[in-house]
Amino acid sequence: MKNKMKDYLITLLGLVMLGLGLYFIKSVVEPEGIMRTLPYILVGVGCGVFGSGMGTMIQKRSIKNHPEIAKQMEIDKNDERNIAVGNAAKAKAYDMMVFVFGALMLSFALMEVDLIATLLLVGTYLFVIFYGIYHRVQLEKKM
Amino acid sequence: MKNRLEQLRKERGIKQEELAAILEVSRQTIGSLENGRYNPSIVLAFKLAKFFNLSIEEIFIYEEDSDEK
Repeated sequence: MKNKMKDYLITLLGLVMLGLGLYFIKSVVEPEGIMRTLPYILVGVGCGVFGSGMGTMIQKRSIKNHPEIAKQMEIDKNDERNIAVGNAAKAKAYDMMVFVFGALMLSFALMEVDLIATLLLVGTYLFVIFYGIYHRVQLEKKM
Repeated sequence: MKNRLEQLRKERGIKQEELAAILEVSRQTIGSLENGRYNPSIVLAFKLAKFFNLSIEEIFIYEEDSDEK
């Protein structure tokens, strides 16, 4: 029941964001500052949140009367090989991301892109790297 | 690592789907185990051993020179 309420709320939040975004696009005649981009961000994020919430609700409703499908989905989700395959793919993508982001930062620096943008990218990159190191230390203690 | 999973399963006359359902894993996992493409966790190895009423060593054959990572 609590989860059902959460799905409804997420779907509603997506709809509200989408509606607000469309309202701002129509109503603000000469947008300035953040209002130039905010409506479009609201439409984009609203669509995503609405789609996700609606998708979850439809999925739950469709498997409600089919316990065997729900059971199979649960098995597939918890299947150790599926988890191992997913983790290996994520690890490969992470390794690739380290190089791709490194190249992107170098390109930004050579292109003399706005310093704020470059520093934000460097900050995000370092955050992800340190997040990985933090979890490695935690896992070293646990395992 | 080699294993006798396919042989044991066929001896008992059960399908991959049935074995997967009993062990609560996907059918693909059973297929990959039988083909030797995937090595199971120790928990799954014990579940298999328990199901076939054998020891793990009787199902899985460890080869020291196998190139595994």
